[in-house]
Amino acid sequence: MAKSYQEINEKIARGEAVVVTAEEVIAIVKERGLKEAAQYVDVVTTATFGPMCSSGAFLNFGHADPPIRMGQITINGVEAYGGLAAVDTYLGATQPSQDKGIEYGGAHVISDLIAGKAVHLLAKSQGTDCYPRKEIDTWVKLEDLNEAYLFNPRNVYQNYNAAINGSSERLYTYMGILQPNMGNITYSTAGELSPLLNDPLLKTIGMGTRIFFGGAQGHVSWMGTQFNSACPRDEKGYPQTPGATLALIGNMKEMNPKYIRGAVYEGYGTSMFVGVGIPIPILNEEMMAFVAVENKDLYTNVIDYSVPKKAKPSLKKVSYAELRSGAVDINGKIIKTSPLSSLKMAREIADELGNWIKKGQFFLQEPIQSFPQGNAIKGLEIKEGESR
Amino acid sequence: MMTKKILLSFPQKAAGQPMAMELIKTYHLDFSILKAFIDDNIKGTLLLEIKGSEADIEAGIVYLREHQIGVRDIESVVEVDQAKCVSCGTCTAVCAVDALEMTADWSLVHHDDKCLECMLCVKACPMRAIHAII
Repeated sequence: MAKSYQEINEKIARGEAVVVTAEEVIAIVKERGLKEAAQYVDVVTTATFGPMCSSGAFLNFGHADPPIRMGQITINGVEAYGGLAAVDTYLGATQPSQDKGIEYGGAHVISDLIAGKAVHLLAKSQGTDCYPRKEIDTWVKLEDLNEAYLFNPRNVYQNYNAAINGSSERLYTYMGILQPNMGNITYSTAGELSPLLNDPLLKTIGMGTRIFFGGAQGHVSWMGTQFNSACPRDEKGYPQTPGATLALIGNMKEMNPKYIRGAVYEGYGTSMFVGVGIPIPILNEEMMAFVAVENKDLYTNVIDYSVPKKAKPSLKKVSYAELRSGAVDINGKIIKTSPLSSLKMAREIADELGNWIKKGQFFLQEPIQSFPQGNAIKGLEIKEGESR
Repeated sequence: MMTKKILLSFPQKAAGQPMAMELIKTYHLDFSILKAFIDDNIKGTLLLEIKGSEADIEAGIVYLREHQIGVRDIESVVEVDQAKCVSCGTCTAVCAVDALEMTADWSLVHHDDKCLECMLCVKACPMRAIHAII
Protein backbone atom coordinates (compact mmCIF):
# COMPACT_ATOMS: atom_id res chain seq x y z
CA MET A 1 0.00 0.00 0.00
CA ALA A 2 1.49 3.30 -1.07
CA LYS A 3 1.79 6.31 1.28
CA SER A 4 1.59 9.97 0.33
CA TYR A 5 3.79 12.81 1.57
CA GLN A 6 0.73 14.20 3.31
CA GLU A 7 0.03 10.94 5.12
CA ILE A 8 3.62 10.76 6.34
CA ASN A 9 3.54 14.41 7.46
CA GLU A 10 0.32 13.75 9.38
CA LYS A 11 2.04 10.87 11.17
CA ILE A 12 4.99 13.19 11.94
CA ALA A 13 2.56 15.77 13.37
CA ARG A 14 0.97 13.09 15.58
CA GLY A 15 4.41 11.93 16.71
CA GLU A 16 3.76 8.49 15.21
CA ALA A 17 6.17 8.43 12.27
CA VAL A 18 8.68 5.58 12.23
CA VAL A 19 12.04 7.12 11.35
CA VAL A 20 15.31 5.18 11.01
CA THR A 21 18.68 5.83 9.39
CA ALA A 22 19.75 4.35 6.06
CA GLU A 23 22.12 2.06 7.98
CA GLU A 24 19.50 0.89 10.49
CA VAL A 25 16.92 0.21 7.79
CA ILE A 26 18.97 -2.59 6.23
CA ALA A 27 18.36 -4.96 9.15
CA ILE A 28 14.67 -4.01 9.28
CA VAL A 29 14.16 -4.96 5.64
CA LYS A 30 16.04 -8.23 6.13
CA GLU A 31 13.95 -9.08 9.16
CA ARG A 32 10.49 -8.04 7.99
CA GLY A 33 10.75 -8.29 4.24
CA LEU A 34 10.27 -5.50 1.75
CA LYS A 35 6.48 -5.32 1.84
CA GLU A 36 6.03 -5.22 5.61
CA ALA A 37 9.06 -2.91 6.07
CA ALA A 38 7.61 -0.47 3.52
CA GLN A 39 4.44 -0.22 5.58
CA TYR A 40 6.27 0.00 8.90
CA VAL A 41 8.96 2.58 8.07
CA ASP A 42 7.87 6.11 7.11
CA VAL A 43 11.13 8.01 6.71
CA VAL A 44 14.76 6.97 6.25
CA THR A 45 17.43 9.54 7.06
CA THR A 46 20.63 9.78 5.05
CA ALA A 47 23.62 12.05 5.64
CA THR A 48 27.12 13.05 4.71
CA PHE A 49 29.80 15.31 6.18
CA GLY A 50 32.68 15.96 3.85
CA PRO A 51 34.53 18.49 1.72
CA MET A 52 32.33 20.28 -0.82
CA CYS A 53 34.32 22.92 -2.68
CA SER A 54 31.47 24.35 -4.71
CA SER A 55 29.95 26.22 -1.78
CA GLY A 56 29.58 29.81 -0.71
CA ALA A 57 27.45 32.49 0.90
CA PHE A 58 25.31 35.37 -0.23
CA LEU A 59 25.59 38.23 2.25
CA ASN A 60 23.86 41.60 2.53
CA PHE A 61 25.62 44.05 4.83
CA GLY A 62 23.03 46.85 5.00
CA HIS A 63 23.83 50.44 4.08
CA ALA A 64 26.28 52.72 5.88
CA ASP A 65 25.73 56.49 6.05
CA PRO A 66 26.70 57.91 3.63
CA PRO A 67 26.23 54.72 1.58
CA ILE A 68 28.78 52.89 -0.57
CA ARG A 69 28.45 50.72 -3.67
CA MET A 70 30.97 48.09 -2.63
CA GLY A 71 33.39 47.28 -5.44
CA GLN A 72 36.55 45.60 -4.17
CA ILE A 73 35.48 43.71 -1.05
CA THR A 74 37.47 41.66 1.46
CA ILE A 75 36.22 39.91 4.59
CA ASN A 76 39.01 38.94 7.01
CA GLY A 77 41.33 39.41 4.04
CA VAL A 78 39.34 37.08 1.75
CA GLU A 79 38.09 38.61 -1.47
CA ALA A 80 34.32 38.52 -2.03
CA TYR A 81 32.52 39.27 -5.28
CA GLY A 82 31.80 42.96 -5.93
CA GLY A 83 29.69 42.55 -9.04
CA LEU A 84 26.26 42.50 -7.43
CA ALA A 85 24.20 45.41 -6.10
CA ALA A 86 25.65 47.92 -3.63
CA VAL A 87 25.92 45.88 -0.43
CA ASP A 88 25.30 42.35 -1.68
CA THR A 89 28.18 39.95 -2.14
CA TYR A 90 28.96 36.30 -2.76
CA LEU A 91 31.78 34.80 -0.76
CA GLY A 92 33.17 31.61 -2.27
CA ALA A 93 34.34 28.85 0.05
CA THR A 94 37.59 28.17 -1.82
CA GLN A 95 38.79 31.78 -2.11
CA PRO A 96 42.16 32.05 -0.31
CA SER A 97 42.91 35.03 1.93
CA GLN A 98 45.35 37.68 0.78
CA ASP A 99 47.56 37.30 3.86
CA LYS A 100 47.25 33.66 4.98
CA GLY A 101 46.61 32.03 1.61
CA ILE A 102 44.78 28.70 1.63
CA GLU A 103 45.24 28.27 5.39
CA TYR A 104 42.38 30.74 5.87
CA GLY A 105 39.88 31.11 3.07
CA GLY A 106 36.24 31.83 2.33
CA ALA A 107 35.09 28.66 4.08
CA HIS A 108 36.83 29.76 7.27
CA VAL A 109 35.13 33.18 7.09
CA ILE A 110 31.76 31.46 6.65
CA SER A 111 32.46 29.17 9.58
CA ASP A 112 33.60 32.11 11.74
CA LEU A 113 30.44 34.05 10.87
CA ILE A 114 28.24 31.08 11.80
CA ALA A 115 30.20 30.79 15.07
CA GLY A 116 29.15 34.39 15.84
CA LYS A 117 32.60 35.92 15.48
CA ALA A 118 33.13 39.49 14.30
CA VAL A 119 34.79 39.66 10.86
CA HIS A 120 36.71 42.54 9.30
CA LEU A 121 34.94 44.07 6.30
CA LEU A 122 36.90 46.31 3.92
CA ALA A 123 35.40 47.68 0.74
CA LYS A 124 36.31 50.28 -1.84
CA SER A 125 34.37 52.07 -4.50
CA GLN A 126 34.78 54.79 -7.10
CA GLY A 127 31.96 56.76 -5.49
CA THR A 128 28.82 57.73 -7.40
CA ASP A 129 26.16 60.40 -7.03
CA CYS A 130 23.88 57.90 -5.35
CA TYR A 131 26.63 56.11 -3.40
CA PRO A 132 29.16 58.80 -2.48
CA ARG A 133 31.29 56.81 0.02
CA LYS A 134 34.57 55.52 -1.41
CA GLU A 135 35.84 53.34 1.42
CA ILE A 136 34.51 51.43 4.36
CA ASP A 137 36.44 49.69 7.15
CA THR A 138 34.33 48.01 9.82
CA TRP A 139 33.62 44.83 11.74
CA VAL A 140 30.43 42.83 11.36
CA LYS A 141 28.83 39.77 12.92
CA LEU A 142 26.28 37.42 11.40
CA GLU A 143 23.53 38.98 13.53
CA ASP A 144 24.34 42.42 12.02
CA LEU A 145 23.71 41.28 8.45
CA ASN A 146 20.32 41.59 6.79
CA GLU A 147 20.53 38.27 4.99
CA ALA A 148 23.17 35.57 5.04
CA TYR A 149 22.50 32.31 3.30
CA LEU A 150 24.61 29.53 1.94
CA PHE A 151 23.96 28.83 -1.71
CA ASN A 152 26.12 25.90 -2.71
CA PRO A 153 26.00 25.19 -6.46
CA ARG A 154 27.30 21.61 -6.20
CA ASN A 155 27.03 19.48 -3.07
CA VAL A 156 26.40 15.87 -2.02
CA TYR A 157 27.91 14.19 -5.09
CA GLN A 158 26.25 10.91 -5.89
CA ASN A 159 29.07 8.37 -5.78
CA TYR A 160 32.39 10.19 -6.10
CA ASN A 161 35.54 8.45 -7.33
CA ALA A 162 38.15 6.86 -5.11
CA ALA A 163 41.71 8.09 -5.72
CA ILE A 164 45.11 6.47 -6.14
CA ASN A 165 48.52 7.65 -7.37
CA GLY A 166 50.25 5.53 -9.99
CA SER A 167 53.28 7.83 -10.33
CA SER A 168 56.56 7.84 -8.43
CA GLU A 169 55.96 11.26 -6.86
CA ARG A 170 53.72 12.15 -3.92
CA LEU A 171 50.58 14.06 -5.01
CA TYR A 172 48.78 16.78 -3.08
CA THR A 173 45.14 16.73 -4.20
CA TYR A 174 41.60 17.52 -3.15
CA MET A 175 41.44 13.79 -2.45
CA GLY A 176 44.12 14.25 0.22
CA ILE A 177 47.79 13.33 0.04
CA LEU A 178 48.29 10.40 -2.34
CA GLN A 179 51.45 8.41 -1.73
CA PRO A 180 53.57 7.38 -4.74
CA ASN A 181 53.57 3.94 -6.38
CA MET A 182 49.94 3.24 -5.50
CA GLY A 183 50.74 3.75 -1.83
CA ASN A 184 47.19 4.45 -0.70
CA ILE A 185 43.58 4.90 -1.79
CA THR A 186 41.22 7.62 -0.54
CA TYR A 187 37.45 7.83 -0.94
CA SER A 188 34.80 10.28 0.15
CA THR A 189 31.25 9.05 -0.43
CA ALA A 190 29.39 7.74 2.64
CA GLY A 191 28.24 4.53 0.89
CA GLU A 192 24.97 3.11 2.20
CA LEU A 193 24.37 6.26 4.33
CA SER A 194 25.03 8.67 1.44
CA PRO A 195 21.97 10.77 0.50
CA LEU A 196 21.87 10.36 -3.27
CA LEU A 197 22.83 6.67 -3.23
CA ASN A 198 19.64 5.96 -1.28
CA ASP A 199 17.44 7.53 -3.93
CA PRO A 200 19.54 6.77 -7.01
CA LEU A 201 16.98 7.97 -9.55
CA LEU A 202 16.00 11.04 -7.48
CA LYS A 203 12.36 9.96 -7.25
CA THR A 204 11.82 11.84 -3.97
CA ILE A 205 14.60 14.45 -4.14
CA GLY A 206 14.02 17.50 -6.31
CA MET A 207 13.59 21.23 -6.21
CA GLY A 208 12.15 22.24 -2.85
CA THR A 209 13.04 19.09 -0.89
CA ARG A 210 13.55 20.09 2.75
CA ILE A 211 16.88 18.96 4.18
CA PHE A 212 19.24 19.20 7.15
CA PHE A 213 21.80 21.75 5.97
CA GLY A 214 24.64 22.76 8.27
CA GLY A 215 22.39 22.33 11.30
CA ALA A 216 19.54 24.38 9.81
CA GLN A 217 16.49 23.34 7.82
CA GLY A 218 17.45 24.16 4.24
CA HIS A 219 16.25 23.20 0.80
CA VAL A 220 17.34 21.69 -2.46
CA SER A 221 17.16 24.70 -4.73
CA TRP A 222 18.14 23.27 -8.11
CA MET A 223 20.04 20.46 -9.75
CA GLY A 224 23.72 20.76 -8.86
CA THR A 225 26.28 21.76 -11.46
CA GLN A 226 27.81 18.93 -13.51
CA PHE A 227 24.57 17.01 -12.91
CA ASN A 228 25.22 13.69 -14.56
CA SER A 229 22.05 11.63 -14.38
CA ALA A 230 23.10 9.97 -17.67
CA CYS A 231 25.93 8.15 -15.82
CA PRO A 232 26.32 4.39 -16.19
CA ARG A 233 24.13 2.45 -13.73
CA ASP A 234 23.68 -1.10 -12.53
CA GLU A 235 20.47 -2.99 -13.29
CA LYS A 236 18.77 -1.53 -10.20
CA GLY A 237 19.67 2.06 -11.13
CA TYR A 238 22.59 2.77 -8.78
CA PRO A 239 25.28 4.96 -10.41
CA GLN A 240 28.63 3.34 -11.15
CA THR A 241 30.46 6.67 -11.54
CA PRO A 242 29.85 10.19 -10.22
CA GLY A 243 26.20 10.95 -10.98
CA ALA A 244 23.75 13.55 -9.71
CA THR A 245 24.62 16.60 -7.61
CA LEU A 246 22.44 19.14 -5.80
CA ALA A 247 22.42 22.91 -5.35
CA LEU A 248 21.50 23.66 -1.75
CA ILE A 249 20.24 26.75 0.02
CA GLY A 250 19.90 27.53 3.71
CA ASN A 251 19.92 30.31 6.29
CA MET A 252 23.35 30.76 7.88
CA LYS A 253 21.73 32.40 10.90
CA GLU A 254 20.15 29.05 11.80
CA MET A 255 23.29 26.99 11.19
CA ASN A 256 25.69 25.42 13.67
CA PRO A 257 29.47 25.88 13.21
CA LYS A 258 29.88 22.22 14.11
CA TYR A 259 28.45 21.25 10.73
CA ILE A 260 30.10 23.90 8.52
CA ARG A 261 33.88 23.92 8.81
CA GLY A 262 36.72 25.45 6.86
CA ALA A 263 39.17 22.89 5.51
CA VAL A 264 42.65 23.02 3.99
CA TYR A 265 44.07 20.60 1.46
CA GLU A 266 47.83 20.95 1.45
CA GLY A 267 49.13 22.01 -1.94
CA TYR A 268 45.59 22.30 -3.32
CA GLY A 269 43.48 24.89 -1.55
CA THR A 270 40.69 25.74 0.82
CA SER A 271 37.47 23.77 0.94
CA MET A 272 34.48 23.48 3.22
CA PHE A 273 33.12 20.52 5.15
CA VAL A 274 29.36 20.67 4.81
CA GLY A 275 26.94 18.60 6.88
CA VAL A 276 23.88 17.53 4.89
CA GLY A 277 21.06 15.18 5.82
CA ILE A 278 18.25 14.23 3.45
CA PRO A 279 15.08 12.40 4.49
CA ILE A 280 13.78 9.76 2.10
CA PRO A 281 10.02 9.18 2.40
CA ILE A 282 9.09 5.51 2.11
CA LEU A 283 6.19 6.07 -0.25
CA ASN A 284 6.15 2.52 -1.56
CA GLU A 285 8.09 -0.75 -1.82
CA GLU A 286 10.24 0.66 -4.61
CA MET A 287 11.65 3.36 -2.29
CA MET A 288 12.06 0.81 0.49
CA ALA A 289 14.12 -1.35 -1.86
CA PHE A 290 16.30 1.62 -2.86
CA VAL A 291 17.18 2.64 0.72
CA ALA A 292 17.91 -0.95 1.74
CA VAL A 293 21.05 -0.91 -0.41
CA GLU A 294 24.27 -2.07 1.28
CA ASN A 295 27.91 -1.09 0.92
CA LYS A 296 28.69 -4.43 -0.73
CA ASP A 297 26.33 -3.57 -3.60
CA LEU A 298 27.50 0.02 -4.20
CA TYR A 299 30.50 0.46 -6.48
CA THR A 300 32.90 3.21 -7.45
CA ASN A 301 36.12 3.41 -9.43
CA VAL A 302 39.68 3.77 -8.19
CA ILE A 303 40.98 6.56 -10.40
CA ASP A 304 44.66 7.28 -11.02
CA TYR A 305 45.11 10.95 -10.12
CA SER A 306 48.67 11.01 -11.45
CA VAL A 307 47.40 11.20 -15.02
CA PRO A 308 47.27 14.96 -15.71
CA LYS A 309 44.31 14.71 -18.07
CA LYS A 310 40.59 15.09 -17.76
CA ALA A 311 39.97 11.43 -18.56
CA LYS A 312 41.89 9.62 -15.84
CA PRO A 313 42.02 5.83 -16.00
CA SER A 314 40.18 3.59 -13.55
CA LEU A 315 42.42 0.92 -12.08
CA LYS A 316 39.62 -1.07 -10.48
CA LYS A 317 35.92 -1.05 -9.73
CA VAL A 318 35.48 -1.55 -5.98
CA SER A 319 32.55 -1.76 -3.58
CA TYR A 320 32.15 0.52 -0.57
CA ALA A 321 32.37 -2.61 1.59
CA GLU A 322 35.88 -3.21 0.19
CA LEU A 323 36.85 0.46 0.67
CA ARG A 324 35.58 0.40 4.26
CA SER A 325 37.48 -2.82 5.01
CA GLY A 326 40.72 -0.79 5.16
CA ALA A 327 42.49 -2.37 2.20
CA VAL A 328 41.89 -3.17 -1.45
CA ASP A 329 43.78 -5.62 -3.63
CA ILE A 330 44.89 -4.12 -6.94
CA ASN A 331 46.80 -6.49 -9.20
CA GLY A 332 47.98 -8.50 -6.20
CA LYS A 333 49.09 -5.50 -4.19
CA ILE A 334 47.22 -4.86 -0.92
CA ILE A 335 46.62 -1.12 -0.73
CA LYS A 336 45.44 0.77 2.34
CA THR A 337 42.19 2.72 2.01
CA SER A 338 41.25 5.85 3.96
CA PRO A 339 38.06 7.91 4.09
CA LEU A 340 38.01 11.68 3.48
CA SER A 341 34.52 12.39 4.77
CA SER A 342 33.48 11.75 8.35
CA LEU A 343 31.17 8.77 8.73
CA LYS A 344 31.01 9.48 12.45
CA MET A 345 29.63 12.98 11.86
CA ALA A 346 27.37 11.74 9.04
CA ARG A 347 25.80 9.25 11.48
CA GLU A 348 25.34 12.04 14.00
CA ILE A 349 23.56 14.15 11.36
CA ALA A 350 21.31 11.26 10.27
CA ASP A 351 20.35 10.74 13.94
CA GLU A 352 19.81 14.46 14.51
CA LEU A 353 17.56 14.76 11.46
CA GLY A 354 15.68 11.67 12.66
CA ASN A 355 15.16 13.29 16.06
CA TRP A 356 13.78 16.46 14.46
CA ILE A 357 11.26 14.38 12.51
CA LYS A 358 10.28 12.24 15.52
CA LYS A 359 9.72 15.37 17.60
CA GLY A 360 7.51 16.93 14.93
CA GLN A 361 9.98 19.75 14.23
CA PHE A 362 10.74 18.79 10.63
CA PHE A 363 8.23 17.94 7.90
CA LEU A 364 8.77 16.47 4.47
CA GLN A 365 8.47 18.74 1.45
CA GLU A 366 7.41 17.09 -1.77
CA PRO A 367 9.56 18.35 -4.68
CA ILE A 368 7.86 21.03 -6.73
CA GLN A 369 9.90 19.93 -9.74
CA SER A 370 11.92 16.79 -10.51
CA PHE A 371 15.35 16.89 -12.06
CA PRO A 372 15.97 15.55 -15.56
CA GLN A 373 16.95 11.98 -16.26
CA GLY A 374 19.56 11.33 -18.93
CA ASN A 375 21.31 14.65 -18.37
CA ALA A 376 24.93 14.31 -19.53
CA ILE A 377 27.80 16.67 -18.70
CA LYS A 378 29.86 18.45 -21.30
CA GLY A 379 33.55 19.23 -21.33
CA LEU A 380 35.11 22.48 -22.47
CA GLU A 381 36.44 22.54 -25.98
CA ILE A 382 39.43 24.77 -26.67
CA LYS A 383 38.78 26.74 -29.87
CA GLU A 384 41.82 28.39 -31.41
CA GLY A 385 41.97 31.67 -33.25
CA GLU A 386 39.47 34.51 -33.66
CA SER A 387 36.08 34.48 -31.97
CA ARG A 388 33.51 32.38 -33.78
CA MET B 1 67.41 0.00 32.17
CA MET B 2 64.61 1.90 30.54
CA THR B 3 64.26 4.36 27.68
CA LYS B 4 61.87 7.28 27.50
CA LYS B 5 61.33 10.46 25.61
CA ILE B 6 61.20 13.76 27.43
CA LEU B 7 60.60 17.27 26.16
CA LEU B 8 62.59 19.92 28.01
CA SER B 9 61.83 23.61 27.93
CA PHE B 10 64.42 26.09 29.11
CA PRO B 11 63.36 29.55 30.16
CA GLN B 12 65.95 32.22 29.41
CA LYS B 13 67.16 32.20 33.02
CA ALA B 14 67.93 28.48 32.88
CA ALA B 15 70.39 28.93 30.05
CA GLY B 16 74.07 28.37 30.63
CA GLN B 17 73.82 25.47 33.09
CA PRO B 18 75.86 22.32 32.57
CA MET B 19 72.70 20.26 32.25
CA ALA B 20 74.07 17.63 29.90
CA MET B 21 77.19 17.03 31.94
CA GLU B 22 75.13 16.58 35.11
CA LEU B 23 72.79 14.09 33.49
CA ILE B 24 75.70 12.03 32.24
CA LYS B 25 78.10 12.27 35.20
CA THR B 26 75.86 12.45 38.24
CA TYR B 27 72.87 10.50 37.03
CA HIS B 28 74.62 8.07 34.65
CA LEU B 29 72.11 8.75 31.94
CA ASP B 30 72.69 8.06 28.31
CA PHE B 31 70.76 10.26 25.92
CA SER B 32 70.33 11.25 22.32
CA ILE B 33 69.08 14.65 21.22
CA LEU B 34 66.20 14.13 18.80
CA LYS B 35 65.32 17.77 18.26
CA ALA B 36 66.52 21.09 19.58
CA PHE B 37 65.82 24.74 18.93
CA ILE B 38 65.79 28.17 20.52
CA ASP B 39 62.98 30.61 19.77
CA ASP B 40 63.05 34.41 19.44
CA ASN B 41 62.57 34.84 23.18
CA ILE B 42 65.67 32.73 23.89
CA LYS B 43 63.41 29.98 25.19
CA GLY B 44 64.99 26.64 24.40
CA THR B 45 63.28 23.36 23.56
CA LEU B 46 65.02 20.01 23.61
CA LEU B 47 63.58 16.60 22.80
CA LEU B 48 65.68 13.86 24.40
CA GLU B 49 65.53 10.12 24.39
CA ILE B 50 67.09 9.12 27.70
CA LYS B 51 68.32 5.73 28.78
CA GLY B 52 69.17 4.65 32.33
CA SER B 53 67.81 2.97 35.44
CA GLU B 54 64.38 4.05 36.54
CA ALA B 55 65.81 5.59 39.74
CA ASP B 56 68.47 7.54 37.83
CA ILE B 57 65.95 8.85 35.32
CA GLU B 58 63.66 10.00 38.14
CA ALA B 59 66.52 11.68 39.98
CA GLY B 60 67.72 13.32 36.77
CA ILE B 61 64.27 14.75 36.12
CA VAL B 62 64.10 16.09 39.68
CA TYR B 63 67.47 17.77 39.10
CA LEU B 64 66.21 19.40 35.86
CA ARG B 65 63.02 20.65 37.50
CA GLU B 66 65.01 22.10 40.42
CA HIS B 67 66.86 24.15 37.86
CA GLN B 68 63.68 25.66 36.37
CA ILE B 69 63.74 23.38 33.33
CA GLY B 70 60.27 22.20 32.28
CA VAL B 71 60.10 18.43 31.79
CA ARG B 72 57.28 16.64 30.03
CA ASP B 73 57.02 12.95 29.23
CA ILE B 74 55.95 12.41 25.68
CA GLU B 75 55.35 9.50 23.38
CA SER B 76 54.87 11.43 20.16
CA VAL B 77 55.62 14.92 18.97
CA VAL B 78 52.24 15.30 17.33
CA GLU B 79 49.01 16.04 19.14
CA VAL B 80 45.45 15.77 17.86
CA ASP B 81 43.18 18.60 18.99
CA GLN B 82 39.94 16.75 19.71
CA ALA B 83 37.91 19.97 19.57
CA LYS B 84 38.92 20.46 15.94
CA CYS B 85 39.07 16.83 14.77
CA VAL B 86 35.97 15.61 12.91
CA SER B 87 37.21 12.02 12.42
CA CYS B 88 37.23 12.38 8.64
CA GLY B 89 40.17 10.00 8.35
CA THR B 90 42.24 12.02 5.86
CA CYS B 91 45.32 11.84 8.11
CA THR B 92 45.20 8.05 8.23
CA ALA B 93 45.93 7.99 4.50
CA VAL B 94 49.50 9.15 5.07
CA CYS B 95 50.29 7.37 8.32
CA ALA B 96 52.45 4.46 7.22
CA VAL B 97 52.61 2.90 10.69
CA ASP B 98 48.91 3.22 11.61
CA ALA B 99 49.64 5.49 14.54
CA LEU B 100 46.56 7.32 13.28
CA GLU B 101 43.77 4.85 12.71
CA MET B 102 39.99 4.66 12.49
CA THR B 103 38.24 2.67 15.24
CA ALA B 104 35.36 0.29 14.53
CA ASP B 105 32.88 3.16 15.04
CA TRP B 106 34.88 5.43 12.67
CA SER B 107 36.42 7.71 15.29
CA LEU B 108 40.03 8.70 14.85
CA VAL B 109 42.41 7.19 17.39
CA HIS B 110 46.04 8.26 17.87
CA HIS B 111 48.41 5.54 19.09
CA ASP B 112 51.23 7.90 19.97
CA ASP B 113 53.67 5.11 20.84
CA LYS B 114 53.66 4.00 17.19
CA CYS B 115 54.43 7.46 15.74
CA LEU B 116 57.63 7.78 13.70
CA GLU B 117 57.38 11.58 13.61
CA CYS B 118 57.26 11.92 9.83
CA MET B 119 54.85 14.86 10.36
CA LEU B 120 52.97 14.16 7.13
CA CYS B 121 49.70 14.02 9.09
CA VAL B 122 50.19 17.65 10.14
CA LYS B 123 50.07 18.60 6.46
CA ALA B 124 47.30 16.15 5.60
CA CYS B 125 44.77 17.24 8.23
CA PRO B 126 42.15 19.49 6.53
CA MET B 127 40.91 20.75 9.90
CA ARG B 128 44.46 21.67 10.97
CA ALA B 129 43.69 19.71 14.12
CA ILE B 130 47.08 17.96 14.23
CA HIS B 131 50.05 19.97 15.33
CA ALA B 132 53.63 19.35 16.31
CA ILE B 133 54.44 19.93 19.97
CA ILE B 134 57.83 21.34 19.00
